[in-house]
Amino acid sequence: MSGASTDVLQRVPLFADLDEDELKRIASVFKERRFSDGETIIQQGSGAAAFFVIDSGEATVFVDGNEKRVLGPGDYFGEMALIDAGSRTATVIASSELVCSGVTFWDFRPLVEENGVIGWKLLNSLIAIYRTERPR
Amino acid sequence: MSHVVQLLDARDTALFGSKAVGLGQALRDGLPVPPGVALAGDVVEAVAGRDGPAIQQVTESVRPLGGPLAVRSSAVDEDGAEASFAGQHLTLLNVPGTDQLTSALNEIWWSANSDSAITYRQRVGLFTRPSVGVVVQVLVNPETAGVMFTRNPMSGADERVIEASWGLGEAVVAGRVIPDHYRVDRAGEVLERVAGRKSVVFRSLPEGGTVEEEVAPALVEALCLDDEQLGELSRLAERCESVYGPARDIEWAIADGTLYLLQCRAVTTSGP
Repeated sequence: MSGASTDVLQRVPLFADLDEDELKRIASVFKERRFSDGETIIQQGSGAAAFFVIDSGEATVFVDGNEKRVLGPGDYFGEMALIDAGSRTATVIASSELVCSGVTFWDFRPLVEENGVIGWKLLNSLIAIYRTERPR
Repeated sequence: MSHVVQLLDARDTALFGSKAVGLGQALRDGLPVPPGVALAGDVVEAVAGRDGPAIQQVTESVRPLGGPLAVRSSAVDEDGAEASFAGQHLTLLNVPGTDQLTSALNEIWWSANSDSAITYRQRVGLFTRPSVGVVVQVLVNPETAGVMFTRNPMSGADERVIEASWGLGEAVVAGRVIPDHYRVDRAGEVLERVAGRKSVVFRSLPEGGTVEEEVAPALVEALCLDDEQLGELSRLAERCESVYGPARDIEWAIADGTLYLLQCRAVTTSGP
């Protein structure tokens, strides 16, 4: 299988303003990635390469070594990697056999560079996230 | 130009990566490399994304090899970058056949696009998009395998240094055993032989993948190469140097009594 579900992408705050066609374009560049039970998917502090949506299985999120939550099908993580390839803010470990759809910074960036409308909508979403989450 | 070629025809490092082109050159020069197919980075990416025509093209090209297969990454980057990517990009041994090849290529593509690979690339100043070619070869299932330096990498002496263990060479490459250690001069005369402690052996599984097994007690400290095999390795070193130049780092295997060259690259560290 290739691609990701647009229903799932619609729920990602970064993609909240995108319409169905724009979501489909982004979904089309996702690639399947499988992880074994216990495999580290992303490591807090590591450089970031990709954003993942869980297709099946479960994964556990840790911050500073403390378990935060369990992710399942339809959940996602690592979306900020698509913008700045900065450091991971959490560790995510597969807690079962896990199938994800992932997209790398390298595949996402040309989509945005070639489509100003998508870029502008992402900017709007980022500002909305910032207004919600910035310290007061 | 096709982006899927017989290993013998892999000539462009920008397409196929340095490992594929190095092995292609070895075949063209008559060195004993197992037959194979070279896949360009864009083909690997297309197959990783489950592109139907790309999968079909790769499957048809690889099918004549039969199976099982060794699927090795071949970094497509700056000249000489291949060695520096050792440990970053995957090699998958004992892929049963073409049915499992798509998943193997997906895994290798992701290994070049993983967080650890990206972190490594940033650390060495590489900010370009990763691309990984692949070499698909018939898997050699060896009795003995290991590495050989055509010149002593520690002392710089003009002699072959050979490290060997039972089964697949991964036991040596991954540091899972203390391998036998041999020094052989250019004429093939054995200068030193020191038995290692080869407690484990990596073998291929019929259903794919490899397994680490315990070695029979009598073989743990028994030498795994005789003088005739050491002489043959020395002659292989000479042929590799005549093709590629001095100071080579070679991966080799002996299967059914035949010596195979698996990889040949420049030594990345040298004498004191």
